[in-house]
Amino acid sequence: MAQEEVNVNRERARKERRDQYQNLLKLIGEPRPEAGGGPSLKAARMRSIVNSHRLAGAYKEESKVAYVSEQFPSEIVFAFDVIPWNIESMAIMLAQTVDVDRVIQVTQEQGLSRDICSFLRGPRGMMWSDCYPTPDLILMNNQPCEGLSKTGVLSGKDYQAPSLALHTPSTVDEDSLSYLAKQMERMMSQMEDLLGTKLDPEALRSTVRYSNQAKEYYNKTVELLKGHKLPGVARELQEVFGMNYFGTKENVQICKVLYEEALELLGEETDKKRVMWIGQTPEESHELLRHMRQAVDIVFWSPLWDANAVMLDEDEPLRGLAERGILYHWDADRMRTETAQMCDDYEIEGFLIANVWGCRNMMGVSPMLRELATSKDLKFLTINIDLVDRNNYAFNHVKNRIDAFLEIVQ
Amino acid sequence: MKTVGIDVGSLSTKSALMDDDYKVIASDVVLTGGSNRAATEMTYDNVLKKAALTRADIGFVVTTGYGRENVPFADKHVSEITCHGIGMHLENPDVRSILEIGGQDSKAILIDEKGHVATFAMNDKCAAGCGRFLEVTARAMGMELKDLGEVSARSTNNVRISSTCTVFAETEIVSLVADGTPIPDIVKGVHNSIATRAVSLLRSLGIRHRRETGASDTGENGVGSVGMSGGVALNSGVVKSLEELLETEIYVVENPQVRGAIGAAYIGQRLAGD
Repeated sequence: MAQEEVNVNRERARKERRDQYQNLLKLIGEPRPEAGGGPSLKAARMRSIVNSHRLAGAYKEESKVAYVSEQFPSEIVFAFDVIPWNIESMAIMLAQTVDVDRVIQVTQEQGLSRDICSFLRGPRGMMWSDCYPTPDLILMNNQPCEGLSKTGVLSGKDYQAPSLALHTPSTVDEDSLSYLAKQMERMMSQMEDLLGTKLDPEALRSTVRYSNQAKEYYNKTVELLKGHKLPGVARELQEVFGMNYFGTKENVQICKVLYEEALELLGEETDKKRVMWIGQTPEESHELLRHMRQAVDIVFWSPLWDANAVMLDEDEPLRGLAERGILYHWDADRMRTETAQMCDDYEIEGFLIANVWGCRNMMGVSPMLRELATSKDLKFLTINIDLVDRNNYAFNHVKNRIDAFLEIVQ
Repeated sequence: MKTVGIDVGSLSTKSALMDDDYKVIASDVVLTGGSNRAATEMTYDNVLKKAALTRADIGFVVTTGYGRENVPFADKHVSEITCHGIGMHLENPDVRSILEIGGQDSKAILIDEKGHVATFAMNDKCAAGCGRFLEVTARAMGMELKDLGEVSARSTNNVRISSTCTVFAETEIVSLVADGTPIPDIVKGVHNSIATRAVSLLRSLGIRHRRETGASDTGENGVGSVGMSGGVALNSGVVKSLEELLETEIYVVENPQVRGAIGAAYIGQRLAGD
């Protein structure tokens, strides 16, 4: 894309963001009666403010925004002084706030089937409602969800924004690491052209340094969950994982505060049995989680994956980023080994396998998870839910089987 | 001590009164209608009247079913999955696999040797394959629900009901009636449709035909003795379709519709004893 065209697009994006921010505010819905009641960790409140700042920042006319997919190497994005806008996470976050029924209705009007995963329909609906900030570019990776990557690329066509996509192999070996690292190197070069700025090597070193600092606290907090049932901590790790703000100073603060709070909570542990929530996760105040928390301690699968523990080389970060990306791939064999270890490390007594409607990834790993649970004599429950589209979900129907599952676990 | 179990279901509300020898003294079934609280009060009074007792004679009340939490006089509420599991075990301790088909959901439940639930699966998304499905199809053919089993016994041809949605299935049935398809064949098709879904639930828990496992009888993961409870177990046509599909005999528990309430009353005995 020619520099002149890039500049025209950027100017257009600035103008559109003013209206889009207003559109978003108009979509703010009435509070749901079941909302509230979540834990009030200091780290959670800090994260909330950081998220709000990011949200508002992305709508500023002068901001540079990149739509990103789950677990995209955010260190690279921040090094370019670009705000990563995780289209999937934003959909679940905004589902708490905006009139999501209207957003879903827009997707139906555009011909999207209600059987498609609402983590894909939600972002598309937000885009078609003209509420997401116009992106300067689209940065996608195909792990763990290829559908999301394709959604991102499609949105690039709508916004006339350039799309760059990483193809992540699923095995960790020399060829794969080199293959992905080279793609990242090329992507950074393309980003320089598209953004019209040369990447400052010190900026990348700085984001990598922040990422490692945050990871140190993150990993120590994860370690504390072994043998300790600390109220609210597992949930906050899930939020930090989902937010994927690694590479910023604020995230170091959040992770540090969370670790310190976790240490303070060591004397306030719960004696409830522990269940692992596997699959896409509802927002913190969701009625399912509030209902379950009364009976059991919940840890979440994704924040405990080995991929999260990978530390990066400040001078040669791409190889570490490549390794992390590959480990984030939902390779069923690798996931089985990791999950089996988690069950032992975190004293898991049961799985709740959340099959979000239309999610092909969950379809792929669910049989493995059920087999693993059976082999380790763990209780498990598979539920089909929709965490964004409320037309596809009724709490009372799911609650019945959750109650039975909790009775079995206890 | 005497205990009462009340199963507040979507179509009917059931109660069972049990003494401390775990003997069911009386039971009752009323339609739930628009107020499950009113239905609960009614069946509670009915079962007490049948046993010539008053509320003061009851030491513990356990509620189950969808409306279980909406009963102010309940001492405890428990999911019907647990209640049907233990309720079946009381009647036949050899049963390990249970199909419980009620008004709006169907469940496959595996229990251990003590009647505790090991795992279970339930229908998702819609009520096709449940009691409500039978109710709708009976209405579409202008028949009484209770007559469906007997009518399907006269079937001579297989008719496939392919729709996975209750409303669409009703349309399909109306079309078959209009085409002159014999009613017994349509009813049999409906029963086969329900049985197919129920068998899928069992298979999702790892249960397999004897011919698949090579087991001679009830071996591990074999169909073995399948117990059935819930209101749909009263329909002999569904039971027959299940037996044909599973290639095994179905053990229909006594008082299948009230089995959840009986399980609840038993749990009441255990809790009162603690």
